[in-house]
Amino acid sequence: MAIDLQYTPKQHALRAAARAWLEANVPREPLPSYDTAQGFEAHRRWEAKLHSGRWSMVTWPQEYGGRGLDLIEWLIFEEEYYRVDAPGRVNQNGVFLFGPTLMEYGTAEQKSRFLPRLASGADIWAQVWSEPQAGSDLAALRTTAIRDGDDYVINGHKIWSTRAVYADWGFGLFRTDGASERHRGLSYVVVPLRTPGVTVRGIPQLDGESGFAEIFFENARVPVANRIGDEGQGWSIAMATAGFERGLMLRSPARFQRTAQRLIELYRRAEQQAASIDPGVAATVTQCWMDAEAYALSTYMTASRLIAGGTIGAEASLNKIFWSELDLSMHRAALAILGARAELRGLGGGEGGALAKIADEATRWMDGFLFSLAGPIYAGANEIQRNIIAERVLGMPKG
Amino acid sequence: MDFTFDEEHRLAAQSLRELLNDHCQGNDLRRAADARDLSSFEAACATRRARLAELGLTGALVPAEQGGLGLSVVDFVLLAEEAGCAALPEPLVDVEGVAHPLFSALVLAAPSERAESGLQETLAGSALVLSAAPGTTALANAAFAQYLLLGRSDDELALYLASDISLTHRDSVDPLRRLSEIALIDAKPIAKVTGAAAASAWQAARARSAVLNAAQLLGLGSRMLEIAVAYSLERKQFGKAIGSNQAVKHSLTDVMVKLEFARPVVYAAAATLAPVRVAHAAVAAADAADRAARAAIQVHGAMGYSWEVNLQFYAKRAWALAGLNGGRSAQFSAVHQSLLRGELGAQWT
Repeated sequence: MAIDLQYTPKQHALRAAARAWLEANVPREPLPSYDTAQGFEAHRRWEAKLHSGRWSMVTWPQEYGGRGLDLIEWLIFEEEYYRVDAPGRVNQNGVFLFGPTLMEYGTAEQKSRFLPRLASGADIWAQVWSEPQAGSDLAALRTTAIRDGDDYVINGHKIWSTRAVYADWGFGLFRTDGASERHRGLSYVVVPLRTPGVTVRGIPQLDGESGFAEIFFENARVPVANRIGDEGQGWSIAMATAGFERGLMLRSPARFQRTAQRLIELYRRAEQQAASIDPGVAATVTQCWMDAEAYALSTYMTASRLIAGGTIGAEASLNKIFWSELDLSMHRAALAILGARAELRGLGGGEGGALAKIADEATRWMDGFLFSLAGPIYAGANEIQRNIIAERVLGMPKG
Repeated sequence: MDFTFDEEHRLAAQSLRELLNDHCQGNDLRRAADARDLSSFEAACATRRARLAELGLTGALVPAEQGGLGLSVVDFVLLAEEAGCAALPEPLVDVEGVAHPLFSALVLAAPSERAESGLQETLAGSALVLSAAPGTTALANAAFAQYLLLGRSDDELALYLASDISLTHRDSVDPLRRLSEIALIDAKPIAKVTGAAAASAWQAARARSAVLNAAQLLGLGSRMLEIAVAYSLERKQFGKAIGSNQAVKHSLTDVMVKLEFARPVVYAAAATLAPVRVAHAAVAAADAADRAARAAIQVHGAMGYSWEVNLQFYAKRAWALAGLNGGRSAQFSAVHQSLLRGELGAQWT
């Protein structure tokens, strides 16, 4: 049997079930931004809703509230999720980064303590890795977690923690051996973000909202039981997390296929209104559709390979480079088509005449554009991803 | 849904790769390129031709009832990629991927003893068949063929003896593509199909050609990337390998990004032969190979612009193939037209 790109009856059935549930349950109006107090709680309720339908962690094993779906089934679910423009996942980092890490490295006690609350949205998780002097060079991190009896005492300064402003917990990388350097002496510790000695301060982003935060630790105490894996094993556990992140699950292809589809609709409307469109933009729209399809096909190919027992290594960095540049390209094309309308800020809901509706659409594209600027930066800057590809896949020497 | 190749696909590709490693290296290509005339060109290629014939790929895409192997395009796509990887001068892809299945279609649509015996001759390897879709500018390797499948328009698919056709040699920028201009004046075909049957046969031939050329472009691009990486490790400036510079690393990584996101498109196009996928595959592979060629030449510095570096054979093949089947421009336009007609959404909607 050669390559078979047809879905099986079981896959069709899953799609139908996901579609039916989502169509019945997705909020009719977009939720307010999860980077506001009110929006965050609305998104937390959405996580609980998803959980009630057992759609929150579809790839997780059934024992943790998941459906034990394989990667192709996950892709199908994601396609349905984006088809109806369902809300963004406020617990994205918990679901796709921390959860899988905990399942692999956590003790039974830690799993039963954290996973059910993560799955239901009772706890929202943030990644607590970067520091002011340790960004791309993460191994330069200096925040210490020094053992004192049954506790770690944490001191230092973390930054760029997405969703940390309102999140409940952080999963972080700390130096448990104060005398250690670089990759050695680090441990993976989870920290409640509302605990004495922890100060979270939001950092407004380009869109004006505090989507990330800096976190100050001043003699914050957390029990040793909050350490995932062995002391000193933090780096390898964190890199496993980074593997999930860069690998497949951070950005599913459906997200970009949906944006490409919206871009095509925008372009066709402009074209039908006889607007004069730069032929370069027209070509970009076509290229974007092709690239979104290419990313989807590539992901199906990788997923098939993994299901057949293959592994994914440093080549995962190719994905992140590709989708982040595609996302930027799609949004730039949309703004070019919108022209003078692109700068308008809407209030949501489209109330207030024709211009308000246009402003709402423009805002969605502009916010998407602003966020797409972050794509080549977060989860390992694209320059770092290119170094990884060159050195670990192509075999070129370290600079 | 299973987007993986079978073990037998990989093994077949591997045996072709091993053969080409032995008989189609840069220096083998150079010997052929330096040939002054047709007979010395053939002499330079003789061993490889003989080995290829022993590989048992003849009639790969011809149905088993007609004496072929009964494979489909997706079974052949990795082989085409290997042919590209080696810049194979022999028309393995043009014959087995395109002309032979077209020959088979002609025999099925208009059975005749003469056409039937011609097909058996070419399947036995005692004669060579090539095809040129209506509108073809010049056909590579026509000078080596005994049978030609041609048409004045898409409504006509006709089988000719090559000796009845006026062929004029034309030089290609790729010294390994021996082109012929074809004149169809007064030539009498030995078998012919007309109308819808001809049109659908040509349409299928064009799709196979576009997909399999895209696969060759993937192979060519991968090979150029490999050559560029090797050179970047060997060439030292300022006391270190030039490949340790980020500017060089990132340029070659971008080539890999292009190649790796063209690859699944080409494979999906081979599996489905859906027109938009085929056009997308042609564009993506042409772009990736072009990026590879330019980056590889740049990494080679002045050497990259010199005749003596074998890299040129791969680059020139890539540029030649990228222009076929309407070229990158027509293929891109085909995708764009589908978009304008509202046919393109996400595949799952």
